[in-house]
Parts: sequence; structure tokens; C-alpha cells
Amino acid sequence: MNDGIVVIAQHGENRADPLTYESLACAWSLCGGDAERIRVIVPGDRSRTVAREIAAASGFAVTSVESDVLTTYNADAYLRVLGPLLERTAPGYVILPHTCIGYDLAPALAVKLGAACITGVEAAVSGNERTGFVRTVSAGKLSAEVVPETATAVLTIQPGAWQPLDIKPGSAGAVDTVRIEAGTGRSRTTGFKQAEYQGSALADSTVIVAAGRGIGTQGNLALIHDVARLFPRSAIGCSRAVCDAGWLGYAHQVGMTGATVAPKLYFAIGISGAVQHVAGIRDAQMVIAINNDPSARIFARADVGIVEDLTRFIPVLMEEYDRQQGTTTGTEEIREPRAQENSPPPGPVKR
Amino acid sequence: MNILVCVKQVVLPGMSAQSGSRINRYDEYALEEALQVKERIPGTAVHAVSAGPQRVEAVLRRAMEMGADTGIHLHVDSGEELTPYQAASLIASHVRANRYDMIFAGVMAEDDLQMQTGPMIAALLDYPYASAVIAQEIRPDNTVSVERECDAHRRQCVELDLPCVLTVQSGINRPRYPSLSNVLRAKHQDIIRPEALGREVPRARETTIRTFAPELHPRGMFLEGTQREKAVRLLGLLHEKNFL
Repeated sequence: MNDGIVVIAQHGENRADPLTYESLACAWSLCGGDAERIRVIVPGDRSRTVAREIAAASGFAVTSVESDVLTTYNADAYLRVLGPLLERTAPGYVILPHTCIGYDLAPALAVKLGAACITGVEAAVSGNERTGFVRTVSAGKLSAEVVPETATAVLTIQPGAWQPLDIKPGSAGAVDTVRIEAGTGRSRTTGFKQAEYQGSALADSTVIVAAGRGIGTQGNLALIHDVARLFPRSAIGCSRAVCDAGWLGYAHQVGMTGATVAPKLYFAIGISGAVQHVAGIRDAQMVIAINNDPSARIFARADVGIVEDLTRFIPVLMEEYDRQQGTTTGTEEIREPRAQENSPPPGPVKR
Repeated sequence: MNILVCVKQVVLPGMSAQSGSRINRYDEYALEEALQVKERIPGTAVHAVSAGPQRVEAVLRRAMEMGADTGIHLHVDSGEELTPYQAASLIASHVRANRYDMIFAGVMAEDDLQMQTGPMIAALLDYPYASAVIAQEIRPDNTVSVERECDAHRRQCVELDLPCVLTVQSGINRPRYPSLSNVLRAKHQDIIRPEALGREVPRARETTIRTFAPELHPRGMFLEGTQREKAVRLLGLLHEKNFL
């Protein structure tokens, strides 16, 4: 392995993305206490402000790599500018977050650098002869430890895997600027747009009741709605697999490619707890998980776990709720749904 | 248009390669997207390609049943699962010897979730590419305009020159079921096996040294008891926290 560690910063609106500080923490954990091995690269058209911010917060050396083609992220432009630069630097590691920028760029960059590529890294295992990197395989059932066989390895790290870097540097790191001219490429980023969806229900709800593929059938969504109706302000969420199956519209998707949510209570029902999903509920205050598989990963995130078959358990839960309502009010009235927003959306949501 | 679609045979967790394998779901979306191009643009041909041992022909057969015009098997049998770089290298050398306007692949394989093969093929061929594509439209001026799925329902709009590589995100379309006529055709049509001459699998650039069941550190508590006891405890908890 070569010695240097390069972190490619992700940033926007003149500020470093919080995920950049997770990448820095990863670099810090790999450098063996020698901060001089770390260099942060901030690509952009004018990225000095961000470079100074990172240098002050970390004490690491930061290079603002500026080019007119780097106004916004574009794989072709990033490769043309960063490829030759990194080839000259020949670092041991190049670290990016596992985001739509990181996973887009990393594999092609690895090819250009003749490097190993390890994506979605959740942990580093050091102490052995070679440092290994842990990632999820077998559709989430297993973890694998992977070691690079090359002098350079490009890593994308799973959001949330490292806590953001929190050190008090003695002094700010050195900042320098490299300006690179690059002609027009064969791919152009023309802009960003918001997908057509009504995100407010997920964003504003105190309680989110979310379904995973583990609910088995679309018909069982009725049980999810039953649970949601227990709460005055709730919304229905789901994992990507549920959207892909066409059971719910993508407006309901929670996770890395869907909505990031921060409800007071997140009910995960039949959700296995893939890292991509859990990334979307990091800020949930309380997580309750119902799953019939006691080894489901969601239980690692859950505050309260219930190992049960949801098709049997939820009816019992509703029955018990109705019975308790009956005793407290002393009547046998049929309980009315308490929230309107829980009703299923009118047909699939167009993406 | 001449379109190549990369398909991977994935083995379901806990199953054997013989009985528990199928076409990677993400590649089905890629294939469907290519088939829709074929329906829109006359004279388009869709070719499915897969690299690996004999058994991967099953997914090529499946791709032909869905509507691919041909199935191309790049036969290698090292006894080990190909890394994304190895698969990309094999596919890229096939592309060099042929001419394709577009290459589609799934955004990732559902088993190993690496998201690497497509962008690696592009880098090896020096083609522009876009990953996690959720919408695409081919323009008359030999460009393709795509939307990439970013975080939190944000999309990046990119315009690429042809030839290019697109990796397709799930949800872009509804993959079709094989039609009877295509099933019958696929049954009798030969799979193309290009000469293996000079086909070398490059050295893997990373090695998996162990796989293990992830240790589960439940951070909370499990409710115990009968179903009804658990239901009562759960309701009690929800009351206590003022959710009900």
C-alpha cells in the first residue's frame, strides 16, 4: 500500500457536506496518528472557502482543486481533472462517501488509477498484516472483509459508519489551490431537479409506520394502515423493495435513495434493516421493529424489538387496543380512524 | 441502435448456484429499458451479455425470453466469483471487438451491492457514463439525456454523447414477463459464444478474506411473552411515551 490518504470532499453552497467529516474520520482512523499522511481535495470552480473550513476544523492539509468544468458534479469532468492529479499523487487510499457522487465516481476512478475498489465500507479492520474493509454482501445476510491487492484502493464509505471527525487541531491545516484547465467532455450536467412527489407527509409526521418487503403481500399493507391509525399524526413509509414491487409509491420511500426522516417514533414492520434503509432513519428518536427473523439487522437499530409474525401479531395488537379503549371509555363504540393522512395514496405515485 | 445489456446471475442467500440462482433484478430493469428503446427506435437490436461459467447461460436464456435478440456468453471458469473489475474487463474487451451505441447494466447486483461494473466498463472503454439512472431519453443528435437518482428524491440531469454506459436504478420501468413467442424462440435459439482466444481474466484487485454473519448488537430491548403479552407491553410503552 502507498502511504498517502486522499479524501475527496463533498460539498455544496460553500459548505462541506457533513458526510465529508465522516470521510475525514475514516482517514484519521487509517493514518495511524500521522495526520501528515492525509490530504483533502475539494473539487469545484471556486472551492477555497470550503477548503479553508475543512483545514480549520481538521488541521489536515487541504487542496482546492479548481476548474471551470467542476461547477457541479459530473463524472466525466471529475475523472478528467482528478484522474491525472491522483495518478501523480499515488495515494494508498482515496476516500469518498457512498453517495450518488461517491459510488458514481469511485469505480471509474479506480480503473484510471489501477486501484482496488471497495464500495459501501462499514468498518475498517486493522491490527492484522493488512487492513481489511467490511461491507455487506449476500443481499444483506452476511458481511465480508475485503483487502486491497494493489498499491492504491478507492473506498466509498457508508454514511453513518464513521462518526463525523471531532478533533481539536492545534492549528489550521495548510490550504493550497490548484487550477486545472480541462476542455469540454462528452457528458454534461445540466442541472438538478426535485422528483415529483409529496414529501411533506413523511417530513412532518411525528410517527412513521413503515413497511418492508417482509410484510409478504400488498394486501398486508392494510395491517400497516391499522397501526398507523393508532396515532394522531402519522404517515406511511416503506423500504425501496416495497416501492419496486409497486405496493406503494416512491413518495413513501425512506432510506438512502428516498427520504431521510426524523420522526419521534419510527415503526419498522417487516423491514430487514439494510444499511441503505437505516441511513434514512438515523435521526429517528425511537425505533420499534416487528420482524419474524430474530437476526434481522433492523434490531441493531431498534429501541424495542418484537420478534413476531406481523400477520398474527398486529391483529392481536389492534384487538388489545380496542379492548383497552373499551375499558377506559366504558362503551363498545366502534373506534373511528383518528387520522386522515393515513389513507393510501390514490394510485401509484408518478416518479 | 445496437444495445448491449449486461446481465449477472445472482445466487440467492443460502441457496446453491444450481437451484437458487436467477437474473439480477436490477439487470431486468436495464433489459426492459433497452427493450423499450427497441420499441421506439426502429432497427434497434438488443444483445444480452454475461461473463462466467456454463451456468450463467440460464440468465442469458431468461434475457432472450424477455425479448433480447441474442444472448452472448463470455465463458470463463476460474472457480471463483468474478470481481466487478474482472467482469468489466471481459465485457469491455467484447465491446472493443464489436460496436454498440449504448451499454446498459443494473445499478448493482442484488447479492453483492457493489455498484461498480457499469462505471468500470465505461472507464475501460473511455466512454461517458451515468449510474443510478431513473429516466433516459435518446435524442436525434446522438446524445442521451438522463436523470440520475440522488439522495432525498433529488435528481441529477446529465446529457451524454453516444456511445455511453448507463446503469439503471430499480423503479425506472416495470420489467415485462416473457411472452410465449419469445419463450419459444429462446428455446431454439443458440447462445453466442465468442472465441475465448486471448480472453484473460485479469488479476483481482481486491480479495475477500472472510465472510461472516454480522454480529447483531441489539441496542434496545426485546419484548418477551405471548403475543398478547407483547401487545399489552407495547401499548403500555406507547402510552408511557405519550404516543397514544
